[in-house]
Amino acid sequence: MIGDTLAHASLAGIAVGLVMNANPIIMAFLATTIFGIAIEFLRSYFKKYAELILVIVLSFSIGIAITIISSGHAHANVESFLFGSVLTVTREDFYLVLMLVVISLITIFLFYNQLVFITFDEEGAKIAGIKQKLINYIFAILVAATISVCIRIVGVFVISSMIALPVATALQLNKGFKWTLIFSMIFSFVDIMSGIIVSYYINAAPGGVTALVSVILLLIVILIKYLWYTYYRVKSE
Amino acid sequence: MIEIKDLFFSYTNKPPFVLHDINLNINKGDYISVLGDNGSGKTTFIKLLLKLLTPTSGTISANSLKIGYVPQRFENLNTQFPITVFEILDCYRKTLKIKDRSCILKYLDIVKMSGFKNALIGTLSGGQCQKIFIARALMGEPDLLILDEPSSGVDNQSQSEIYSLIKRVNRTDKITVISVEHNLKAAIENSTLIYHISEGHGHLCEPENYIHEFIKENKGDDDIATI
Repeated sequence: MIGDTLAHASLAGIAVGLVMNANPIIMAFLATTIFGIAIEFLRSYFKKYAELILVIVLSFSIGIAITIISSGHAHANVESFLFGSVLTVTREDFYLVLMLVVISLITIFLFYNQLVFITFDEEGAKIAGIKQKLINYIFAILVAATISVCIRIVGVFVISSMIALPVATALQLNKGFKWTLIFSMIFSFVDIMSGIIVSYYINAAPGGVTALVSVILLLIVILIKYLWYTYYRVKSE
Repeated sequence: MIEIKDLFFSYTNKPPFVLHDINLNINKGDYISVLGDNGSGKTTFIKLLLKLLTPTSGTISANSLKIGYVPQRFENLNTQFPITVFEILDCYRKTLKIKDRSCILKYLDIVKMSGFKNALIGTLSGGQCQKIFIARALMGEPDLLILDEPSSGVDNQSQSEIYSLIKRVNRTDKITVISVEHNLKAAIENSTLIYHISEGHGHLCEPENYIHEFIKENKGDDDIATI
């Protein structure tokens, strides 16, 4: 849900960027970062209503985006950001993605334990002396950066599925955190590569195809898991 | 070891107070069960000890104490999170910067859960889960062990194992224990002192006097007979 909200927040950033003739990806990053930090900030005030905060931020950002785009002030084609296309990726974008990969890997390497601890047991992490707020803000910025650099490839509409679906697929394997993380990355890679290849042959936007491939892969894994358990249950009887 | 002096607490920083004029000295080796009705301020009291809350006025002097905390299983934990028992303990070990990785198995052995090191936390029963969190808390070699309703959602067999474990670390290893309890029988049998909180006011007494001091005046003889 946070991925979905930040993806829509990025659309607000893109719309502002197109009106101001600024780099839309940088503007998307700024918007997602601001909204990501705002969500984190509000979360501590509305502890029991975290989902509600996401809906408020989502509505606010989509409101900004639709108002700007529909008023005709955006001086470029918004569609490529909505649906994504690998063909619109520039060399500059490629280096941006590469830089983010390095930053993400270093951040995960440095804060792996803190991130896992906070996600699993926020109160326990605080008691153990982890600077929980700082780590949450770092994580929010990292998610914001990831979303903004992926916009050109998969588009705003399916970016949240790219964050959630590989994880949902990996969760089916019932592994611990480390292996769930590794399998999420593998599934993510398979989804995106297959999406790009298939979209080339059927001449469709890679974002949509990638989302479809992700769902199909999830269903395949669920089916294999079901058959596997059925086989073992029958065998043990 | 811990001195609580003239402590008042309110979530709004003004009256009415959740805790009124709390004065308590906790000595090394004490096993204090905190009892009281729902909403009496028990959880607020331990959150203050854990420094998750700040007193409105008064002081808690518990500096440089190593605290181990065992949460209520279903309270704040995400038990559906994909994490193994080993990963939970390893995460805690690294956070506390304990170099010896073998200590994980040592503490799992202490709580008799070494066979579950690769199990996902969401697949464990209430009692097994509670033992894992006790092992995690003990791994930091704490001076003070704080537990929040350790027998909540736990079957009878596991309850007796958990209480004998807590009693052992208290009596043998001299770890001070403060446990929020709803299990009156366990509190009377195991603790060395009982701290009763009622409408924000605290009172310390011996376990053997607790029934006569607090239960008899509020409940009938029939209720006492069931304890």
